[in-house]
Amino acid sequence: MRVRWVRTAAVVAVTAAMATAVTGCGSSSTGKTGTAASGPVKLDFWGWAPGYAQSVALWNKSHPDIQVSFDTTASGSKGGYTKMLTAVKAGNAPCLAQVGYETLPSFAAAGALQDVTQYASADKGQFAGWTWNQVTIDGHTYGIPVDTAPMALLYRKDLFAKYGITTPPVTWADYAADAAKVHKADPKVYLGDFGNDAYNYAGLAWQANAPWFGTGGDQWQVSLDNAANQKVAGFWQGLESQGLLKNDPSYDPSLYSDMAKGAILSDVNAVWDTPILASSVKATSGDWAVAPMPVWNAADPQYGNDGGSATAVLKGCKDAAQATEFATWMSTDQTSLSNLIKVTGIYPAATSGLDNAALSAPDPFYGGQTIFDVFKAEMPHINTSWQWGPTMTQTSTDLGDGLGTVETGNATLTSVLGSVQTKTVAEMKQQGLSVSGG
Amino acid sequence: MTTAPPAPPPAATTRRPPQHLRRQARTAAAFIMPFAVLFAGMYLAPIGYTVYQSLFKVHHSGLGLSAPTTVFAGLSNYTAALGDPAFRGSLLRVLLIGIVQVPVMLLLALALALLLDARTTLFKRFFRLAFFLPYALPGVIGAIMWSYLVAPGLSPITAAAHHLGLHLDLTSNTLLAPTIGNMLTWGWTGYNMLIIYSALQAIPPELSEAARMDGCSPLRIAWHIKIPMVRPALVLTTVFSVIGTAQLYNEPAILHNVAPNLSSDYTPIFAAYDQINADNFNAAAAESVILAVLAFALSFGFLKFMQRRGETL
Repeated sequence: MRVRWVRTAAVVAVTAAMATAVTGCGSSSTGKTGTAASGPVKLDFWGWAPGYAQSVALWNKSHPDIQVSFDTTASGSKGGYTKMLTAVKAGNAPCLAQVGYETLPSFAAAGALQDVTQYASADKGQFAGWTWNQVTIDGHTYGIPVDTAPMALLYRKDLFAKYGITTPPVTWADYAADAAKVHKADPKVYLGDFGNDAYNYAGLAWQANAPWFGTGGDQWQVSLDNAANQKVAGFWQGLESQGLLKNDPSYDPSLYSDMAKGAILSDVNAVWDTPILASSVKATSGDWAVAPMPVWNAADPQYGNDGGSATAVLKGCKDAAQATEFATWMSTDQTSLSNLIKVTGIYPAATSGLDNAALSAPDPFYGGQTIFDVFKAEMPHINTSWQWGPTMTQTSTDLGDGLGTVETGNATLTSVLGSVQTKTVAEMKQQGLSVSGG
Repeated sequence: MTTAPPAPPPAATTRRPPQHLRRQARTAAAFIMPFAVLFAGMYLAPIGYTVYQSLFKVHHSGLGLSAPTTVFAGLSNYTAALGDPAFRGSLLRVLLIGIVQVPVMLLLALALALLLDARTTLFKRFFRLAFFLPYALPGVIGAIMWSYLVAPGLSPITAAAHHLGLHLDLTSNTLLAPTIGNMLTWGWTGYNMLIIYSALQAIPPELSEAARMDGCSPLRIAWHIKIPMVRPALVLTTVFSVIGTAQLYNEPAILHNVAPNLSSDYTPIFAAYDQINADNFNAAAAESVILAVLAFALSFGFLKFMQRRGETL
């Protein structure tokens, strides 16, 4: 009799647990009951950045009651975001996902994020104010910031010297002059590459205080082809028209092959690109250096930002409290940050992370330079009011297409911005969003 | 098994057939079942779901930063897709590629098949294999190979043209479509040739022999006897090619890596995939349905047209 009672109770408990698992979406349960019944809380985490898996392993070692399993997806724009959004629709999304700041508004617009304001708000003070704004949309916090992505000039120190460039270009005017100088000395050599990555280009616009999106009242404003943006476009189109830049697609093997053989001398890219470059052109290790990104006005330098991402909590997560706890730990714990700085090349969003010893380590690929010093010096001069729109997938795809046609000389950058503006406004209208200044 | 003794022969003939037929029907059903279940689950259900999805729309309001609602949209996704210049452009682009590439490829396939079938051709087995080989190669591998052959900066063809004083960029906006057509022709001519060739093999040899006796030249034998006899094979390969072109994806997708000017809505499938990336599944469903209907109308229409002509001939 007793045995049967125990068995019945077990069956009831299991059935109840299963029912909770199935109907758990959106419940206010913190998952504590789940912990008691079935051992450690299990959280899934999707992302693609190298180094995340190691941080997850560090967490799992020290937190036996909350176990996170990390799954590497394709990078966001290469299908990772599509997979996440589809999983949310299907109701089997992971609790945690790596989502770039630029895509968070699109995720919010798709209803794919879980509001974790109640668990996260206490951690707000640990992060740079503007990064918190990137994960907080319309007063709701949807995740924890991980990093910011200041941009710099990564360049071949040895070849700059060879072509008589004694100091890296300080202003864009210097950059243009150096581009002409190098190309004149050897028509097969270029100072830089004009790629087709929309977000790298966004960093150039960001630097010039040339906003793409804004909100006024309950309406979106799209300003991709305003005067400030046309000024940036005009500068790059000028270099393109003179044939002073190489036109390899961004992050393409052809780009790295040209860099390795000294046909491209520099790249303006984000801090997270420093390890990517190092692993892509290994043979030239030690020949590279990092200098501040060229600026428009040397008297009042402003720098750009290309990327930065958050650990977002996706809709349907039933252990949102634990998920937030993990995400905060990953972004603030010093052992995790050391790993992310070394492997991923992040520049931490957590203010305590800025004192991390890994940031002062010399980098042999960059000739033993303490490269993070450059980024640290740029940080106070990065515009913190940049706002992303809710249609970034479409906007970045169309801009990437447009940059591709500019590369091949089939269109001008100034006209491309106009057509991306039109398409973005049309897309927003089609989705029923209110837009002004179409 | 049964309690009744075996019935006498006359009774058996009246009673057994229905039972026999019933068992046969049950057996047939059992054999069809796996197919029917998979066909309904993997084919009909997704089509039904796609059509269903295409009738709804995700609705945002204001800034749209909170969860959207799904509302019934009627045919508005279809009118939006057909009104979208990018999607219309992709349909037109693929149609143009098809109109030029399919006849070129099939004429080439027919010519090669006729040459292989000719009495005087040497090394038949070698050539049959050589022509067929591109098809045996996975399509993506062929596309990668061609993308290196046409990539600016790498292309030996461009380099050769340069030596002759010609500026040739095979991935420029104007030459993209011919380049893709060339990749398709290279990959699929051998396959179509083989279908036509096997149809040629089925022609009774005495027909050609009789014609030859009457003094018919090989060209006229091909024109008056062989080509009319392989008409069904030509119709079949045309239908396959039309469907294949409508689904154009691999070649441009691979080519995009070396030709960044190839837009992300180059073909209708690209355009639908673009909508999925933008989290607009409903628009993607509508575009898929439009593409499927057009491909069906074109291939089935061609088939019907040829059949009607076949009856009058």
